[in-house]
Amino acid sequence: MPGRQLRIDEFRIEEEPYYLATGDELAIAEAAYRDGSPLLLKGPTGCGKTRFMQYLAWRLQRPLVTVSCHDDLSTSDLVGRYLIRAGEAVWTDGPLTMAVRAGAICYLDEIVEARKDTTVVIHPLADDRRQLPIEKRGELLTAPSEFMLAVSYNPGYQSVLKDLKASTRQRFIALSFDYPGPDQEMAIVCQEGRLKMDIAKPLVKLAGMTRGLKDSGLAEGASTRLLIQTGKLIGRGIPIKTACRAAICEALTDDREMLAALDEMVSSLF
Amino acid sequence: MDLESLKTKFYQLVAPSLPNEWDVEEALSPLATDEAQHVDDIFAQVPAIWPVSHSLCFAYLSAAGPALCCLAPDELSLWVHTLLDRYETGGLRGAQVFMEDVEQQFACHQRGQGGLRLIDVRSRLQPYVNGLAGRELPLIAADQAGTDAESIYLPSEIGVFSEHAENFLVYKLMASFQWACLEAGTFAAPRHVPHRKKGAHPLDCFFSEFSVPAQARCLYHFFETNRVLSFLRGELPGLMRQAAPLLPRLPLSSDEAESCNLLDRLQQRLLRAISPPPPPSPLDDRAFALLRRGQEPHADNEVSVEAVRELMPLLGPEEDLGLTRPLLFQGTLRLQEMRNLGMKQQADKELRLMQTVTAKLPAVKKDAQTESNPDGSTGQQGQDIALIMEVENAWEQLTPFMQSQAQQFDVSEANLKTLKQDQQRPGRNTLTDQSPSATEGKAGQLFTLGKHGGGSATEPGSAEPVVYDEWDYRRKGYRKNWCVVTEKEIPPVQNSFIEQTLKRYRGQIRRLRHQFELLQTSERFVRRQREGNDIDFDALVESLADNIAGRPPSDRLFIRLSREQRDIAVYFLVDMSNSTAGWVGQSIKEALVLICESLEVLNDRYGIYGFSGMRRLRCELFPVKRMDERYTPAVRQRISAIGPREYTRMGPAIRHMTSLFAQVEAKVRLLIMLSDGKPEDYDDYKGDYAVEDTRHALLEAKAQGVHPFCITIDRQAHEYMDHMYGEVNYIFIDKVKQLPARMSEIYRALTS
Repeated sequence: MPGRQLRIDEFRIEEEPYYLATGDELAIAEAAYRDGSPLLLKGPTGCGKTRFMQYLAWRLQRPLVTVSCHDDLSTSDLVGRYLIRAGEAVWTDGPLTMAVRAGAICYLDEIVEARKDTTVVIHPLADDRRQLPIEKRGELLTAPSEFMLAVSYNPGYQSVLKDLKASTRQRFIALSFDYPGPDQEMAIVCQEGRLKMDIAKPLVKLAGMTRGLKDSGLAEGASTRLLIQTGKLIGRGIPIKTACRAAICEALTDDREMLAALDEMVSSLF
Repeated sequence: MDLESLKTKFYQLVAPSLPNEWDVEEALSPLATDEAQHVDDIFAQVPAIWPVSHSLCFAYLSAAGPALCCLAPDELSLWVHTLLDRYETGGLRGAQVFMEDVEQQFACHQRGQGGLRLIDVRSRLQPYVNGLAGRELPLIAADQAGTDAESIYLPSEIGVFSEHAENFLVYKLMASFQWACLEAGTFAAPRHVPHRKKGAHPLDCFFSEFSVPAQARCLYHFFETNRVLSFLRGELPGLMRQAAPLLPRLPLSSDEAESCNLLDRLQQRLLRAISPPPPPSPLDDRAFALLRRGQEPHADNEVSVEAVRELMPLLGPEEDLGLTRPLLFQGTLRLQEMRNLGMKQQADKELRLMQTVTAKLPAVKKDAQTESNPDGSTGQQGQDIALIMEVENAWEQLTPFMQSQAQQFDVSEANLKTLKQDQQRPGRNTLTDQSPSATEGKAGQLFTLGKHGGGSATEPGSAEPVVYDEWDYRRKGYRKNWCVVTEKEIPPVQNSFIEQTLKRYRGQIRRLRHQFELLQTSERFVRRQREGNDIDFDALVESLADNIAGRPPSDRLFIRLSREQRDIAVYFLVDMSNSTAGWVGQSIKEALVLICESLEVLNDRYGIYGFSGMRRLRCELFPVKRMDERYTPAVRQRISAIGPREYTRMGPAIRHMTSLFAQVEAKVRLLIMLSDGKPEDYDDYKGDYAVEDTRHALLEAKAQGVHPFCITIDRQAHEYMDHMYGEVNYIFIDKVKQLPARMSEIYRALTS
């Protein structure tokens, strides 16, 4: 149980997060916000979904409440529950309720990891009713116009079991994310990883190579996030090849042969 | 040892086979003079070789005596192991070559002195090349390096340097170079070629403009090598930095030749930066200037084409460029292969396109009619436009190289574009198109399109065959690509079997369904939890009372809803061998009906496959119910159709099921096998061999996270069962009639 309840102001994003738009995703998201429509972000891991949400929240000047979903996430974890304090039952808002009350942006990360019955609770919130029933308190919250719901998932590795229900899916404005193009990715890696272009360029090339190994046994290639981490390591004085090994090769696979092949790529490029 | 006793011993070893006496005598006569200990060592390997091939065994007996002179006695089994591998990859001829030179082929590798072999580096290089290319580009062993745009050919062994690391670098350079040739557009058509021949690569047409096309070809290839190397310096600077000290040490043909021609001088200049001795010749100066042009950034292959155009007339009659060997990593230009491949793919694609179009036509007509469009033209146009759009989209996804390739071909471009698109799709390893992964020899690795549900248009009735290795306990290794497994549709049978079974067991089915319902996902409240959905009032009252009474109150005050989900996938693998005829087969079928009826109340996913076949090349699996299929009347009819067929080769069937499981995600993956005894096939798949292979296949399944469980119907338990199935992984049923009832019980016990 938390020692103190988080206040909504703690979820405000004060500084402008770095985000490089790759398409018209910002325009769409802002239009959806004005219309009160919820957002569905899909794309591979580390391609910038969460960063996009942070940037959007900053632009809209709304607090961003992020919930990482897992398969044990229950409705009460989202909506809230009674807790016992000094012999009294005290109601505590869950993150979703907190976001609705404050007119914040609630971002459910990896929504497919949550059980399907849990996700149903967002249904009335995600259509034109924009309501959140709190059964235990007999309360029906209506979301203010500032509130926005956003969910994300990675369609790449999900099995049939982990798919969104059509009834959930069809409430959202969907934005598809992918790794940015080489030039944009280089710009991002330079900026975030604090790297020079001559190192960022082969790093992005390396990422491109690993992304082509799906059929050779590598489920997902190096993400932009990994490249940024590598860049930061290099910035701290770690030699390039060692940084690539630690932040890219070892992070991608445990398979010895695949590791060897990745090492060959690194040694070819640097 | 005299010949007679050798013969007796040999016949004992190969019994019950009775090979021709004169063959045996001929093979054994060189051994007659050998020491008894040597002969024993040699004979000890016969059981491993004889079942593989009799001719190979005779060849081995003749060669083993001399081989032992170069080998330590404990190395013999390893030598035989390698020999069998060679036989399986290169046939009898390959094996003979291997046996002829023990020192070069085996012993020096053992001492770590030989060259580096492609099979040893492929696991490392293949993903590397795929990563470079962004698509599957198989590495194939050949005499010389080269590429035909679909594969990269590399020599099967490189021994230029004494160090493995350096030889590996040569391999890596070679593979990267061949990729770079594709990427940098070495094979793109020259812009102005007046005479085009159908069926020939445009570059070949260009070479034929000259009086000696071979010289033009050599020159072009060299200038392209120069350009590609500088392309590589830009793309893979790390590799080129590593390779820099190595390049000058690569052998050149001018090292041996007495006089140097232009190509020799160019090679020396490129790799070793050696300038020809004075006086300077205008030809050389011009050639070197052209070399520098090729190294400029953004140079394309036109630079090399122009270089050839310019230099060819200047060549004197004494300059025979054909005498100069290409550089080691450069290899050969496989222009004709590339062209042929393109033509063949194009023909295939045309055929497919025709089939698609004819298949789509009736649908279009129907659409048009329902739209009450009298001439149907609009519908047709729409379809056409959709088709063109599809083709155009595919075109855009090609690399510039591919596009340039595609434009060369005269026949309708559109076909080729979609074809090339197809080419880039993964998982194209069919039997005819062997991928290296198939030869790596991992158990259960398959090279086929015919994976389940892959969406490939396989003919109804049978899927594409899949090849599996088989475990040979005698040599403690796999027989590579040994068994061919085909999935065959089982024709449904309409009879009263299902109704009768349902009627006969109706009481039991009702009871089973009830029992299985209890297994269903259960939701229950767990009380007294630290966290939970709701307050546990009993606990709260107690805690308050404790508090007032001065005792420490509990903090476990919540109720949590616990949901235990069953996430189970199960395959039933049914023996359809000849021996199941009669009551055994009948009971197995009844058991299947009962288990299906029971399983319908659960959410467990399940599939049923039958297996049988004859010999290693015809192992057959019959899908009765696929995992994603519902329990429909068609499935019931297929259960009725299960009947005795041929033999019981268990290993490949288990391996196939394991590979099917790879596509199923579930917490518990269960393979339940139903059989009536020992594995056995028409060929040498019997006895210990069959037991050991089955055991190995089951172990492989376990390693893949599949729980195998075997139900054996037999009159009595046998000793081999413990060994084959592992003690806890099987149950033995002696009263056939019990099977239907027992099987559901077993299933319930296994999964709860």
